Amino acid sequence: MKIVITGAGIVSSLGFGKEATLRALLDERSGVSVPEIMETAHTEHPVGEVKAPNAELALRLDLLADEVLSRTSLLGLFAAREALDQAAVTDVHRMAFISGTTVGGMDHTERYWMDREQNAKRIVELHTAGSSTELIARHIGEFACVTTISTACSSALNAVIAACDMLRTGQYTQALVGGAESLSRFHFNGFRSLQILSTEACRPFSADRQGLNLGEGAAYLVVETEESAISRKAPILAYINGYGNACDAFHQTASSDNGEGAYRAMQQALQMTHLPAAEVDYINAHGTGTPNNDISETTAMQRVFGDALPAFSSTKAFTGHATSAAGSIELVISLLALQNDFLPANLNWQSPMENGLVPVLHTTPMQLQHVLCNSFGFGGNDSSLLLGKEGRALTEQNEPTLYQVLADIEPAEDADYKQYMSPLQARRLTPALRRLVIAAYQALETSPDIPIDAIITGTDLGCICYSVALLDQLMQEGEDALKPTLFMQSTHNTPSSLIAIQLHNNGYNCTYSHGKNSYTDALHDAKTQIQLGSIRTALVLGFEEVDEAWQQLEQSAGSGHTMQARATLITKRD
Amino acid sequence: MDNNLLKQQIIEALNLEDITLADIQDDAPLFGEGLGLDSIDALELFVLLDKQYGIKLQNKEEGKQVFKSVNTMAAYIEQHRTK
Repeated sequence: MKIVITGAGIVSSLGFGKEATLRALLDERSGVSVPEIMETAHTEHPVGEVKAPNAELALRLDLLADEVLSRTSLLGLFAAREALDQAAVTDVHRMAFISGTTVGGMDHTERYWMDREQNAKRIVELHTAGSSTELIARHIGEFACVTTISTACSSALNAVIAACDMLRTGQYTQALVGGAESLSRFHFNGFRSLQILSTEACRPFSADRQGLNLGEGAAYLVVETEESAISRKAPILAYINGYGNACDAFHQTASSDNGEGAYRAMQQALQMTHLPAAEVDYINAHGTGTPNNDISETTAMQRVFGDALPAFSSTKAFTGHATSAAGSIELVISLLALQNDFLPANLNWQSPMENGLVPVLHTTPMQLQHVLCNSFGFGGNDSSLLLGKEGRALTEQNEPTLYQVLADIEPAEDADYKQYMSPLQARRLTPALRRLVIAAYQALETSPDIPIDAIITGTDLGCICYSVALLDQLMQEGEDALKPTLFMQSTHNTPSSLIAIQLHNNGYNCTYSHGKNSYTDALHDAKTQIQLGSIRTALVLGFEEVDEAWQQLEQSAGSGHTMQARATLITKRD
Repeated sequence: MDNNLLKQQIIEALNLEDITLADIQDDAPLFGEGLGLDSIDALELFVLLDKQYGIKLQNKEEGKQVFKSVNTMAAYIEQHRTK
C-alpha cells in the first residue's frame, strides 16, 4: 500500500498558512524576534512568536467570545482547518485525529495559578495535553478516534508515524495528524534554567552556535491511503515513503555523542522501503542550535550517509523551536520544499563545526524527489520521516494477530527500589517514578530471556509533582533561579525515557497522554506494532502520580487521579 | 566559609540521599570521576550559588572552573558572595 498527504495546514512565527510560510522561506525572512505576547522580563532571548494575542486568534477562527480555549488549541484549530480544507475533507467521522503536544493548556494554567481555587474547573479542564487535542476536535467534528502523543519535541512527528501505522494495519483509511504548542512562561523559563536559550538569533550547525530560540505554532496534515485519495479524487501532494522511531536512551536532556537514537531513526526510515541513502536529496534536520544537538545529529547523519551527505538545513532559525509542534511544522516545510523544488536556507550560519559540515546557506532552487525530516526530543525520543514525490509501497498487515500478556505488575507500596537502582540514580525521581522502575524490572523478571523491542507509556498528567513545584516557584519567586531538575523531569515522556535509559533500550519508544485512555492507547499501540511485525515484545507502562495541590483542584472540579505505576509485558502469540 | 555547610547545601540541592558529609572530599572532583554527577547537577549548583550567596555565574565555562571541588567552590563563594 501507499500513504499519501492530501492536505496541510500551518501557523508559526512565519505567518498564517502555507502561502505565508512559503513566501518567508523563499524570501529568507525569519519570524524570530523579541517576545511581545508572552509576558517575560527576559526579552534578551528572541522567540519565534505568532504575533497575535489569543483574542485575535479566536476572532480569526470565528469563535464565540465566551469560548475558552488554550493558546495551543487556538493555534491547532487554525492549522487543522487549513489542512482539512485543502484535502476537501468535510466528514471526519471515520477519521483518526492524532495530535502531539506537551505544553497543552499550560499557558492558561499559569495565568490562573495564583487564583487557582477560584479557577479550579477551568484549569483542570484545559490543562492536560489530551484536553487541548479534544478542544480542537470539538470544533471540527466527531472523529472515529482522538488521541495525543507527548514525546517532548518529537511529539508531532510521532503523531504522524502513529497514524501511518494505523493505516498500514487497516484501522482507518484517513487521519488528521500533527501537533500544536504555544509558548508558555513555564517552558520558556524552564529552558532558561537549562541554559540552552540563545540571546541571539539561533545559528544551527554553526561553530559559534550558542543555543536555541523557542518558537510556537501548529501544523497538521491529512494522511490517507492512496486508494482513499484516488477514490475521492483528492489531489496527492506527496507520499510518505518510510519512517523510524528510536530511543537514544542516553540522558533525559542530552543527546549521545554518536547520536545512536537519531542514527537508528534515520536508518529505519530509509530501510522501510529500501531507499538507498544516496537517493535522499535533502534533510530537514532537527538542528536546534544547541552545541549538543547539532554535533550529535550531524554525527548520526555521517553514520547513515557516509561521505555522500545530502544537502541539509535546519529551518529553526526561521520559526524558532516550536517544541512539540516542531515535527509537523518542519514536515510541512519539507512538503513545501518538495512541491516547489527548493532547498530552504539554514539562516545565520557563520562557520563550520569541527566536522567541517556546511548546511544549505541560501534558499536554492533544486529538483527534489526524496526529503528526510528529523525530529528529536528530550528523553532521546528520536524520529525521522521520509517524503517522496513518487510513492513507494509500504507493507501492510491486516491479518488479526494474537497477543499474550506475560506480566502485568503493580508493585506493593513498600517495595524497595534500591535493588534496581542506586540512590544516586534515583536522586531526581519522585516516589511514583521510583515505583515505576520497580514495576518495569519486576515485569522483566517474569520473562528474563525475552528481548524488549519497544517501551510505550500512557500517562495523563505526566510528572505533575514537578510541574506543580516549578509553577509554584515561578509564581512565587519569579523567573530567575528556577530549579532545572524540576523542568527536565516535567515532560510527559520522562517515565518512558527513564525506563529506556535504565534498560539501555534503543527500541521504539512512545508516550500517549490522553486522559483516562492514556494507558489503553499505549497498549493499543503495542498491539499495532506487534501486528505490523515491527516488534515482537513491548513493555507497556501506565503512570500517574498524585500531587496534593493538583488533587485539591481536581476535587473542586469533580475529577481525580490515583497513583499508577504499572508495567505490562505483552508479546506476540504464535 | 564552612565547607561542611556547603556540602550540606549541595546534598540538599541535588537530593543526594545516602550520601554523607564524609563521602564528599574537600578537594576531590565533584564531576566526572568524583560523585558521578552530571550537567544538570552543575546547573543546580548555579541555582544554589544564586539563592544562597547571591552569586550569578556568567556561563557554563565559568561553572566548570568554580565547581571543580568543594574547596574551589568555597573559595569562590568567599570572594564573590553578596549575601
